Amino acid sequence: MTEIPSSQQLFELWKKQLEEGAASWTQLLAKTPAPGADPAGFWWKPMFEGGLAQWARLFAQTPVTPDLMTQWKQFLDQSIEAWSKALSQAMNTDAFAQMMGKTLDQWLSAQGPAKRAADQAVETGLQALNLPSRTQVASVAKQIVELEERLEHLEDAIAALGRRLESTPRPPAAGGTTR
Amino acid sequence: MAQERFADVVERFAHGYLSGEGPVPVEVMKQWQDEFQRNLKRVQNLTEMVVHPTNPPVGQTPREEVYKRNKARLYRYASRRSHPTPVLFVPNLGISRPYIFDLLPGGSFVEHMTKEGFDFFLLDWGVFGPEDNELSVEECVSKILPRMARKVLEVSGARELSILGYCMGAPISASFVAAYPETPVRNFINMAGPFDFSKVGLFGLWLDKKYFNVDRFVDTLGAVPADLVKAGFKLIKPTMDLSTNLNLWWNLWNDKYVEGFNALNKWANEYVAFPGEFFRQWVRDFYQDNKLYRGELVFGGRPVRLEAITCPLFVVGAKEDYIAPPACVRALVDVVASRDKQYVELPGGHISLIAGRGASLHCWPQVSGWLAAHS
Repeated sequence: MTEIPSSQQLFELWKKQLEEGAASWTQLLAKTPAPGADPAGFWWKPMFEGGLAQWARLFAQTPVTPDLMTQWKQFLDQSIEAWSKALSQAMNTDAFAQMMGKTLDQWLSAQGPAKRAADQAVETGLQALNLPSRTQVASVAKQIVELEERLEHLEDAIAALGRRLESTPRPPAAGGTTR
Repeated sequence: MAQERFADVVERFAHGYLSGEGPVPVEVMKQWQDEFQRNLKRVQNLTEMVVHPTNPPVGQTPREEVYKRNKARLYRYASRRSHPTPVLFVPNLGISRPYIFDLLPGGSFVEHMTKEGFDFFLLDWGVFGPEDNELSVEECVSKILPRMARKVLEVSGARELSILGYCMGAPISASFVAAYPETPVRNFINMAGPFDFSKVGLFGLWLDKKYFNVDRFVDTLGAVPADLVKAGFKLIKPTMDLSTNLNLWWNLWNDKYVEGFNALNKWANEYVAFPGEFFRQWVRDFYQDNKLYRGELVFGGRPVRLEAITCPLFVVGAKEDYIAPPACVRALVDVVASRDKQYVELPGGHISLIAGRGASLHCWPQVSGWLAAHS
């Protein structure tokens, strides 16, 4: 049974094929056509023959599906997966987490004063134009939320009162008659 | 029949075509013809995507808004309601929009549940702005969820409800179930929700208090902007975009795939900011101190102990989930007091449980099947 090649092996094969392909093209372009040869045949036949022979040699070494594109897609999938695993391993280390933490800290150190200055400038500008700032709009929104909450509490209280009234037995009406 | 090797195809092609020994075999010609047609279709669809980008119609299952509280909305979906116990679905807060659960007809978790006859309610936490920076996990657990649960019971007229939590919606709703045992919860389902944060993987390491100062982060930025949320999720799987685009090219000839891709891509690029206080509490109490799993949380003056959960429990983990790895999801099974509890681990990743063909084959029928038997 043929051993399934790793992504690295496949990559090496692919690289080799590219190199050999490039060499064939250089060889082909350097040749001059023999007198009386079909120029069209000269042009494409050796190129196809050389290319296909190399493809055949390349893929004879690997277990492949009948579809060339499928094989290529599998190779790319495996390469991406291999990269993904390698990156995951690299990122799953204390050193990476530490580096990320430091980078973030540095970014926050720069971002903090810049953000404060920008917010201040915008606030001042809006104030000069007699327009509400984001902080003021956010504050109004917060008040609306608080108001909503109070209304809900009231609704709850009224509902609870209604339930209590419903569960309380009603005293008989005066005079003993009901309509 | 033994599988034909590619080398053999090439050999046959080369011998038959180039050395003039005979015509190209019909099946080989057919293969190349098909490939050519596919490539034409690929180019056509790609042009269409670039020239006329569509806004895919997502969230098409009929629904009505039954309650709203600030940004949060409670939706009830139309169904024949053949099961007496309504289901309250609690997804993640922030990060992404909940239309992923109702992406496209034929590929929608919500549609599946309503077709199965569940009275299905979805809690949409909303899109947050600076005015929501004070919203905390505690407020979600002690103020929003009790009211949502009450509304579900009121609107449906049922005496009990089932709660289904997805992703961070699971630990948040489990905190509510544990802290408010008087709520008549008939069943609890955890789909890809992390519980033991000591086993939460990459995010757990990156957010470790040794490396990440959450107070400084929130105090500086006020909230976690959507772009930073996006950066975090892109970083956890840096090759994701590459494989997504490769798969798109590979399947670009398939109109159905392109339709699904457009919808999923719209969702995958629409991130939602985290309110500052929510993020602070989420990272500090859950990721850094693992307080939920240790039983050290107190919300609304009530202790949150997972062992207070006694209702039947169904937990679903995904084998290749790098956001909530199976070990931290499964952990819930070990701490609750429920007698009837079950854990299943399905193939795929975090999103594969709720969207895509795999989800409709492996996950949704298991969830609806378990719930139907318990409703």
